[in-house]
Amino acid sequence: MLQGALAGLAAGGLYAVLAVCLTLMSRLVRVINFAQSATGMFGCYVAVFLAVHWGLPEWLATVTGIVLGGVLSAVLGWIICTWLAEADTGTRSAVTVAVLLLLISLAFILFGNKPQPFHPLLAGPAFTLGGVVISQVTVVTVTLAVLVAVGCRTVLARSSLGVRLRALSERPTTAELLGIPARPLSVGVWTATGVIATLAVSIVAPSQSNDPTSLAMLVVPAAAAALLGGFQRLDLAVAGGLVLGMAQGAAAQSDHLSVLRHFLPFLVIVVVLVWTQRKEVWDAAR
Amino acid sequence: MRLAELGTPVLVAAAAVGAGYALSVGLAGYFVYLGMSVVVAAIALLGLGVVTGTAGMISLCQLTFAAVGAFVVSACNAAGVPGGFVVWLLLGGLAAAAAGVLVGLPALRLRGITLAVVTLGLAAAVDLALVQIQFPGVTEGLHVERPEAFSDDRSYFLFAVLVLAGCGLVVHFLRRGRWGSSWHLVAFSERGTAAVGAGVRTSKLTAFAVAAALGGISGGLLTGQVGLAFPASFTAIQSLALYVLAIMSGAHLIDMAVFGALLWVAVPELLKRWGVPQDWGFVIFGVLGVQALAGRGNLGMAWRNLWYRRRSRDTAGVGRAADVAEVSPLPPGDPVLEVRGVSVAFGHVTALSEVDISVPAHGILGVIGPNGAGKSTLVDVISGFLPQATGSVLLDGRPLTGSPTRRARAGLRRTFQQDRVPPGLTVAAYVRFVARRRLTGAEIDEALAFFGCPAARTPLSRVDAGARRLVEVVGHLLARPRVLLLDEPAAGLPHEEHVAFGRRLRQVPARFGVSVLLIEHDLDLVRSVCDTLTVLDFGQVLASGPQADVLADPAVLKAYMGETEML
Repeated sequence: MLQGALAGLAAGGLYAVLAVCLTLMSRLVRVINFAQSATGMFGCYVAVFLAVHWGLPEWLATVTGIVLGGVLSAVLGWIICTWLAEADTGTRSAVTVAVLLLLISLAFILFGNKPQPFHPLLAGPAFTLGGVVISQVTVVTVTLAVLVAVGCRTVLARSSLGVRLRALSERPTTAELLGIPARPLSVGVWTATGVIATLAVSIVAPSQSNDPTSLAMLVVPAAAAALLGGFQRLDLAVAGGLVLGMAQGAAAQSDHLSVLRHFLPFLVIVVVLVWTQRKEVWDAAR
Repeated sequence: MRLAELGTPVLVAAAAVGAGYALSVGLAGYFVYLGMSVVVAAIALLGLGVVTGTAGMISLCQLTFAAVGAFVVSACNAAGVPGGFVVWLLLGGLAAAAAGVLVGLPALRLRGITLAVVTLGLAAAVDLALVQIQFPGVTEGLHVERPEAFSDDRSYFLFAVLVLAGCGLVVHFLRRGRWGSSWHLVAFSERGTAAVGAGVRTSKLTAFAVAAALGGISGGLLTGQVGLAFPASFTAIQSLALYVLAIMSGAHLIDMAVFGALLWVAVPELLKRWGVPQDWGFVIFGVLGVQALAGRGNLGMAWRNLWYRRRSRDTAGVGRAADVAEVSPLPPGDPVLEVRGVSVAFGHVTALSEVDISVPAHGILGVIGPNGAGKSTLVDVISGFLPQATGSVLLDGRPLTGSPTRRARAGLRRTFQQDRVPPGLTVAAYVRFVARRRLTGAEIDEALAFFGCPAARTPLSRVDAGARRLVEVVGHLLARPRVLLLDEPAAGLPHEEHVAFGRRLRQVPARFGVSVLLIEHDLDLVRSVCDTLTVLDFGQVLASGPQADVLADPAVLKAYMGETEML
């Protein structure tokens, strides 16, 4: 059980990073980005392609993939900022659903629907804990999740950039009237989350089931984790991701629970919703 | 209901079945098989048309419900449940609807996007689980038995068309009825839905359940077509694609759902013939979906707009009100609505503090005050949208508590300053829904004519903003509430219409038996309508009493003259 849980921690770290990205997007640019992990998937598939077929050095291919992930995300952000500047969260998010479909299908066409010959960026154990081996991947993803969350929090709370971003998220029109450049900042947020997501996926993908669909659907457990923090709180999003990863890892150990394992993110989503919806909330301020 | 309203859809359905029969006889065998796939997809898209198109929610697990239907049909077949395929199909639809309600319940109180998260989560989970557990009877190769009369491909295609026509009729009439109106309303505004006494959650849940049932039927039908159900037919990706297709084709229109289904089958088929990877089909859907979602409009709407533009391009506004005999106002009676000591604070800002007002029976109370005085907040408190407010509200001497829906049903109605009238309905359908009681056509026409509103059959999308708000007022008046709260009802009207509207409003208590609380900026209108006035300033009652006394009060004059507003 413990072994399974700790083995699931690597996936949990990935969930946590993606959940932080989702939370940031939801807070700062009013989007639940369903294409978050698909962007990462596409970036690192291109990296594998470059390394295998063009013979690029591993690090260069990976960096190119990460940059591409950022660019993809930026383009999507630009489209949404331009065409749907005034639209509500629902419509903006629905666009990312279409993009999710588009990216998965493109990946099928370009790279096939089978797992890719990933060359692991990190391999081998980091240390052993109570007889259970903790891999380097686990250490790095968990650290990355915490670092990203703490970093984002610091930027948002302390820096002048953060103040402007928060102004933009809370009072978009007022912020624009104050001369805060809305579109460049929003596209910046999109780019940053795209880069972070691709980086995280690049690290974990080699040791996961890494066909396009599985990687793109990582957005589901990530959304479950982000929902735990109400798409607002970064600390809860990280904790949620890690716990969910461990729970799935533990459930995978048992044959009885293996079907249930697939439903864990869904069940978490449902439970969190039931809990958070005790009070009635209305759609518009008035 | 007029005969044409009942007859035309049935005729269209009959024509569709006729066309289906011709196709089932005339098409080559392979195309008949493709035709079945079109029909199956069309039923699933019809469902999505209800939940996403009409009710405005994002549902990403339509094929999961199809899988439920397929599972039930396979299980019934394996267990030899009596009744045959038709019964199994209906059971599949019911099971899917039940699944829809179960999934929808936790998700529907929060809005929009949470449902997308829940449904995507479900689709992904079921996708993975199905591969592991498989459908019943599949490992033994147990083929599902088609209905006896429709056992070969050609006649099964006809059977599928019959089912589609039936589903289309059901969806059409549901959409015409109360459920349909509530779907339109809830998509447009949840507050508006609650304010007319309809349950927000019920409205969403019915839409979700109907969509799921249609999904289940489509899944069951697919099982009959193929003989065996395979998880590959119900993947999460396909659910996503179907959602995008529904958005892109505008599947809330029945013909566009069928057209979308044609695309669903034809695009991959053509790509296959041209030797292009079939996945390009989803890429195309994705691009067109982004385009449609980014507000560039969908195929269905583009097509309809072309059609309507040819027929009529003008919008309907407020016309001359019908000449009806003036009814002399009744003398004001005892208070029907009493508000005692109401206070609300938003953080550190006190919006209302210890406000008392009372609306007399057969009377019109005007509430005036400068911007930010708390007038609309007061309406929100009375109608139940601000449960954190303290103080008490009494209607007919009984405490008025609970959700806005409950208060509306208890006889307290309100209108909104913002447009809460959904553009998807006709004037009559909207008025009927808002009134929540049986109305004759004559009753509606008379009330509409009294206020000079557009004719009952006009689509609300063609009615201008000012007239829409009058239609809203008419609907609420026909509900015969005890009290109606009007929040700046004349704001969208040209100024010269204000006085005419005021004259009508003056007769409302005697004509409709409704007492009115009127919030208004236009003092001319207030003077001509209200017997008694309450003035709010910075959340407090500044003055209250008969009109002449209040308007002569020096404090009131100061509050108004201090502002830049006119008196």
